[in-house]
Formats: sequence, C-alpha cells, structure tokens
Amino acid sequence: MRWKFIANIIGILLIFLGLSMFAPLIVSLHYHDLARDSFIYSMAITIASGLILVVLSKNWGSDDYINQKEGMTTVALAWTAIGLFGALPFYFSPEFTNFTDAFFESVSGFTTTGSSVMTNIEGATKSLLFWRSFIQWLGGMGIIVLSLAILPFLGVGGIQLYKAEVPSPVPDKLTPRLSDSAKILWVLYAVFTLVEIIFLLGGGMPLFEASCHAFTTMPTGGFSPKNASIAHYNSAYFDYVIVIFMVLAGINFSLHYQMLRGRTLAFWEDTECRFFLGLTLGLTLIITWNIYGSVYASLKEAFRFASFQVASIITTTGFATADYEKFPGLSQVLLFICMFIGASAGSTGGGMKCARIIACFKYCYRQLFKIIHPRSISHVKINSTVIPDEVLRSIMGFLALYIGLFILASILLAAMGIDMMTAFGAVAACIGNIGPGFGSVGPTENFAHIPVLGKWLLAWCMLAGRLEIYTVIILFVPEFWKK
Amino acid sequence: MKIIIVGAGEVGYNIASRLASENKRVIVIDKNQAAAQRISEDLDIQVVTASGSNPQVLIDAGIKDADILLAVTDSDETNLVACLITDLISPTTKKLARLREQGFYPYHDRLKKENPHIDTVINPKIEVVNAIRELMDVPGAIEVGDFVDGQVKYIGIRIDTHSPVAGMKLFDFPSKFGENRPLIAAIIRNNEIIVPRGNNKVMAGDLIYFVCETDKLDEMLNLFGKKTLPIQSALIIGGGRIGERLAKILEKDKIKTKIIESDIDRCHYLAEQLDKTIILHGDGSDQRLFFEENANLTDVVVSVTNDDETNILVSLLAKNMGVKDTITRIGKSNYFPLLSTIGIEKVVSPRLSAVSSILQDIRKGKILSDISIFGERGEFIEAIALETSDITNKPLKKLSFPKGAILVCIIRNEHIMIPTGDSIIKPGDRIILFSVKQAVKKLEKLLTVKLEFF
Repeated sequence: MRWKFIANIIGILLIFLGLSMFAPLIVSLHYHDLARDSFIYSMAITIASGLILVVLSKNWGSDDYINQKEGMTTVALAWTAIGLFGALPFYFSPEFTNFTDAFFESVSGFTTTGSSVMTNIEGATKSLLFWRSFIQWLGGMGIIVLSLAILPFLGVGGIQLYKAEVPSPVPDKLTPRLSDSAKILWVLYAVFTLVEIIFLLGGGMPLFEASCHAFTTMPTGGFSPKNASIAHYNSAYFDYVIVIFMVLAGINFSLHYQMLRGRTLAFWEDTECRFFLGLTLGLTLIITWNIYGSVYASLKEAFRFASFQVASIITTTGFATADYEKFPGLSQVLLFICMFIGASAGSTGGGMKCARIIACFKYCYRQLFKIIHPRSISHVKINSTVIPDEVLRSIMGFLALYIGLFILASILLAAMGIDMMTAFGAVAACIGNIGPGFGSVGPTENFAHIPVLGKWLLAWCMLAGRLEIYTVIILFVPEFWKK
Repeated sequence: MKIIIVGAGEVGYNIASRLASENKRVIVIDKNQAAAQRISEDLDIQVVTASGSNPQVLIDAGIKDADILLAVTDSDETNLVACLITDLISPTTKKLARLREQGFYPYHDRLKKENPHIDTVINPKIEVVNAIRELMDVPGAIEVGDFVDGQVKYIGIRIDTHSPVAGMKLFDFPSKFGENRPLIAAIIRNNEIIVPRGNNKVMAGDLIYFVCETDKLDEMLNLFGKKTLPIQSALIIGGGRIGERLAKILEKDKIKTKIIESDIDRCHYLAEQLDKTIILHGDGSDQRLFFEENANLTDVVVSVTNDDETNILVSLLAKNMGVKDTITRIGKSNYFPLLSTIGIEKVVSPRLSAVSSILQDIRKGKILSDISIFGERGEFIEAIALETSDITNKPLKKLSFPKGAILVCIIRNEHIMIPTGDSIIKPGDRIILFSVKQAVKKLEKLLTVKLEFF
C-alpha cells in the first residue's frame, strides 16, 4: 500500500472541497447572515489540511499503475475525510452542539442520503442550508467522478478508482477515456439540475429554494431547506416536477447520454430501465389503490401522493410530501421493500440497484430451470449480454453482505435501546442512502434523538451503502492488511 | 460453353456431374489430390489439381474464355479470392460463390455491386434452413418447394388409409372436387414413379406430388385429409450453423425450441446467442435425454448434426417414440433411395439445395426452373412456352407427350389453369411439367428449347 499516494489524492480532494466552500460563502455574503466566519474558518482548515497532506506526500512515486486494493482504500478514506471536513461548517454553526451531529449531517449529505439531525431547519442560516444541499450535489455523482472530470491530471490509470466508485454490475463505458466519460456525465448532471431549477422557478418557487431542491433531487439526496420538505408547498405542480426529475436521476446516466445521442428507445431497450420504470409505475398504482379512500378522498390526490412517495423512496431521494407511516400496512411494506431495491446502476441513487435484483432473480430462475432440465446449458443475460458467473457470484455476495450489514446494524441499534421498527427503518434508510426511515425516524421526524454511538454507526452505514459495501467492508477484513 | 468449378467437394461434384451430363465443358480445380482423383474418375470432365485461388492456375484453366466461375470450396476465403482474381483477370465471366460464414450475410449485396462483383452468393445452410422451415409449416408434407416467384408450390405427401382420396381414380377427381381439384404430377408407389393418367388410382400409402397455388395450400391439404395445425414446439438435434440459424428463426416465430448439442463449448456459445431456446448438453441418440425432455410430445424433431448416420438414427428413434414429424438432414446422396424404405421421408440436404439453386441461377433462356425430386429421379420443369415449339396453339389432346412426362398446369396472367384435353397453350404461357428422369431428353425436344445454360 502506497500511503503517500493515497494521502496525495486525499490532499488534492480536500483542497477542492475547501475551494467549494466559496459557494456557501458567497451565499452568506449575499444574505449577510451570521455564518460567514464559520465558512471562512472551515475553508482555511480544510485547504490547509489538504496542502499539508499534498506537501507531506510529495514524491509519492511516479508509478502510474494503481491496484485495486489501493483504489478501494483511497475511495473509502477519501469519503471519510470529506465527510469529516465537510462537517466543519455545521460544527461551527450554532445549530449544532457537538461534532457527532455535524459529522452525521455531513456524511448524510455527501452520501446523498438525506437523513437529518436538524429539528428546526428553517431556523438555520441560508448559507448553511445551501451548503447542506450543495454537498449532496457534490456527493451526487461522486466527488471522485467529479474530480476525475476536473482533475484529469491525476493520471493514475484511474480505471481502478472508477471501478471502486461505481461498481455497477454492467460497466457501461461511454467513451474510451475515463476522464472524458466523467466529463460527459458531469455536464449531463449539471444540465439536468439547471432544467429542474428552471421548472421549479416557473412554478413560483423562490430561486434559493429552487436551487436547493434541484441540488438535492439530481443526486437523489433529499435535503430540503423546509421543515416539512416538499409538503411545505402542497403544490401538485412541484410534486410532479420533482417526481419526474427523481425518476430521471434514478435512471442510468449513460442511458440519458445515449438517448441524447439519438437512440430514442434507449430507456425501453434497456432491461434494467424497463424494470425500474415498470416497478415504479406498478407500485404507484398499487399504493394509489391502497390509499384511495382510506387516506385520500380523491383518486387524483391518491395518485399524486403515491407516485411521489414511491419515486422518492425507490430512487432513494427521500423527499416527503406525506407521512407514509399513516398509510395502510400494504403501502408501508411496499415502500420498505423499495428502500432495498433502490434505483438503477449508474444512476445517483442507492440501494441494491435494480440490475442486481434482476440478475439475482434470473440466477434463481436458472437454478430452478436447471432442476427441470438437468442437462440444459444456460446463461444469465441482461440486455442479451451474458453475465459471467464471476460477476454473478460477486452480485450474490453483494446482496448477502447488504442483508448481513442490515441485520447486524439493526441489532446493534436495537441494543442501544431503540425500538424495532425504528432500528430497521433507520438502518435500511441509511444503507440505502434514502433519508427518512420508519418508526421514530419517519418522514415527519428526524435522527436527532438517536444516541451518539448510533449516529456514528448509521453514518458508517451510509458510507458503506454509498460505496457499494465491498469497498468499506474490505477494510475490515484482516487479510486485506496482511503484507 | 465453358464452366470452371473451384472445389471438388460434394457441391462441386454434383454440379459438375449435372453439367457434364448436359454436355457442357467443365473444368474442376481442387488442390485435394483425393477429391480431384475421384471426380476425374467418375465424370467426363477436365480436372486441375491445384489451388483455385491462385491466379496462374485460373489462367491456365482458361478463365479468360470461361463463361461461369463457380467457387464452391469449403473455404469462404478461397472462394472470395477466386472470385476476386477472376474479376481482375476476366471481368466478363459470371461468378458464383458459396459463402458459409453468417458474418458475410449483411454484405452479400455489396459483394455483388462492388469488388469482386459476385453475381450470386450461395449459402447452402441458409437455403437448407429455409427448406426446413417450409417443411415445418406444412406438417403433412414430405417435400415442399417453390416455383419461380413463390406463387406456385409443389408438395409431396403420403396418402393415409383414412384419406378421402384413398382408392379414388383420378378421373373421378373433377366430379368430386370441381375446379379446385389438386393437380397431381406424380404418384410414387413401391419406390416406382408413376406418371398418372386418368385411370390411375390413388392408393393409401402412396407418395404423391402435386402442384398448387401457395394461398390454396391449406385447402388442398385438407382435400387429402391432412390436418394443417401449425407446430408449436420443436426439438433440434445438432447445434451447428444450421441448428443455430433454425433456432433463431423459430424463436422469432414463437415456437418453443430445444437444441441438443454434444459439444459443451458449442452449448455455451449457443446459450449466449439464443435467448429463449433451451440448450441441452447431450448426445442426440441418448434415449434417456429424450425421455427427460419429453421429446415424444414435441411436434417435430429436426436432426441436423453433421453426421448422416446419427441423423437417421435420431429420426428413427424419434419416430419410434411417437413423435409425429421428423426432418432429417442428409449429406450423402447415395442414401436417398434407402430412406423411404426405413420410413424417413422428410429429408433435407444442404448440398442438393445448393446444387439446385446454383443450377437455377445459371440457367438461362426459357427454362425457369428445373427441380429434382425424390432423390433426383423425377424433375419438375417450369418453362415459358415458345411460339416456335410444337406444343403451342393446338389442343393438348393432339399433342403426344413422351411416356413418363405430364403437363401439370398452365399459368396464364398469374392464374393457374388446369389442363384438359381441349386446353391450348399460348405462346408466353408459363407451363409446369413433370417428367421422370429418362423422359427429360424427349421432353426437351418437344419443347424445342433445350435446357439451356448460357
């Protein structure tokens, strides 16, 4: 392990993180709020730390090759470091009394989870709220991908980084050069955000709130500058605009790119996308039927709230327009399951990802098929491409680890004195990078009352979920550290 | 007329034999000593033992004044190069090439228009797959084929004991079926071809060949008591190129398909290529596998391995298990006479398909098609009636057709006419005749147009 090399990358990232704090600083100056100094301090500390790391790790060697082990360690440590330094502006503001809360909020932001410990969001300074949304936006495509777009000079055979960053079951290379494809995705991401801002402005949302919401929709984050989230506006127009952008954010970005390049049927031709869209629509209809009459008197309302909750949970965004804990049991169970399914691979969403679910079901079907036709030879295919057995095993391993982590974290949380529903809901929401869970961390509550240890555990779960489990878990495997 | 054939394999051999029997000058080039030896011993042709893609060899063989080059070796590359060289040395020579690799398929048109200007690309496997598909579509039929534009078909069927026509005399057909009666061209009984006259009877167990319009096919089959239920499932033995292509077509037509293939690597390849087809690894003649997969409930078993004996065995096995329909691929022509005696009737042969399509293609003049049936023992001839010939402008009863030949139908203005004694063939009519092999020469004389190749 070349620690100097890793330190160098983290140093560079921290410098950029520090520079990104200019954005909330400008907001602070614009609104003349009290958070100005806290951003200046945070920025100074972050950039200084970055510089120190870069200087210390000078002469890390010119070996261009970076192996998988180093790639994974870099990714895991980089996200942790960014979570820590990104917490500084929170820590320096009066709303946060301890570092645990600040770290939780920051990690929740960078991992685009959206779970919050803030009880009175609207009471905070505008610049802090902006920072809260902005870190989700930065986290969205992964700070690493972003950095690859900005920092092609890293030039360290970045493919391993990309592998650790977006280990989707089916890697879609847009263009041969990694930094080129990162740039394409980044531009696409920015354009979508801009379009959403325009749509929200068109509906009469103030610029500040429109930006904050767009910044947290595209990364499927879910932070809102309003206490009641999107429910604050109670507007069907805003609901549907956000539903559409959440769903778009939940689709593989390379499909967006292909569609813009003229493959108009790209969404339809892709198995995963078809599954994702079909599932979203299907669940919306079931929940509409389920809540129509029992919760909402009109079918239109039932559909509006059903579609919003389904899109919000399955894309792992986590905005709320309704308290789904007041929905009938069936709807709650379906939404809980959505937390595990998640969005498409290659999107900004979290969860297990639809592609893995499809592969898993196809694999199970193949096993059954093999019993009926013992001598048959068959492959698991997605989009008519054969998924190699090695990849399938890795997917099955992922799903097992995901469930394992969910169970372990739930037990630990329950051991801290948290009730069952809350423990399950909080862990599922954090590993899946969703935001609101069930029980006392539902869409109308927050995570403030979770004990300190629980917050660290959940923050760690968010990181593990965001970095596709393997990357984080592997650091805890003793074999990894053996020379 | 001079024809150069590159490749003395099964296809080359058979074309050479057909052409030589029609007194054409044939030169065969093959670098395989044994193949060259065999063909020069069997046939009255000139043989060059050398590589057919070598320019000097082609020049020595006289490519410059050859009318046609047939590149039919087993190697696509050799065939392409032979055509390319010919295109350079002698651009006026007509070129036909056999290309087996599926990857060439999308480029057939460009190979025609651009270098090396191949006039016709032949792919025996594609043709045999089409033939199999056609046989599947007409479940009662033993042989099915098209005349020139696909508007008229010929069909060979076996008459069952409960068929309504069993025991009927042919001159009773008009009173029973009227205008829509079937046009019977040949009856095959006890392995003998009978060219039917009015007083011939149709008997149970006969194999009869008849001609009909494509859109009246179902109706005709019903007359003979054949049900034409479309097939729903198929079992293919042998996952070679034919099996693969057939499975792809069947998948498209939503027919449940299984393939049994003995080579495990090939199985994996097929599993990658095919989406819905079930790929089974095993031996085609393995009875246990057949039972495991309920092969007896399959509508049709198609055996298309590269081994004739396996194919025959599989078909017998399938028949024995109660499979309604079997289609067998046979490569060697000397098996043909044997097959019907052991009950294997639906036979396809890539080689024969290729030979007949090549012959059809290079044939010029007033003969539109010349199709061999029943192991080349009888021929359908489709021709345009010439003013100069003896057959036009007089009632049929005044014509004396050679023994063993029959006028099956007249096609005038795209409409099939049933010939009677008073019918008159007009110049320009398309006529379809059937003849046993021995009578073909006499029939040609009557038509006063020889089976011309240009």
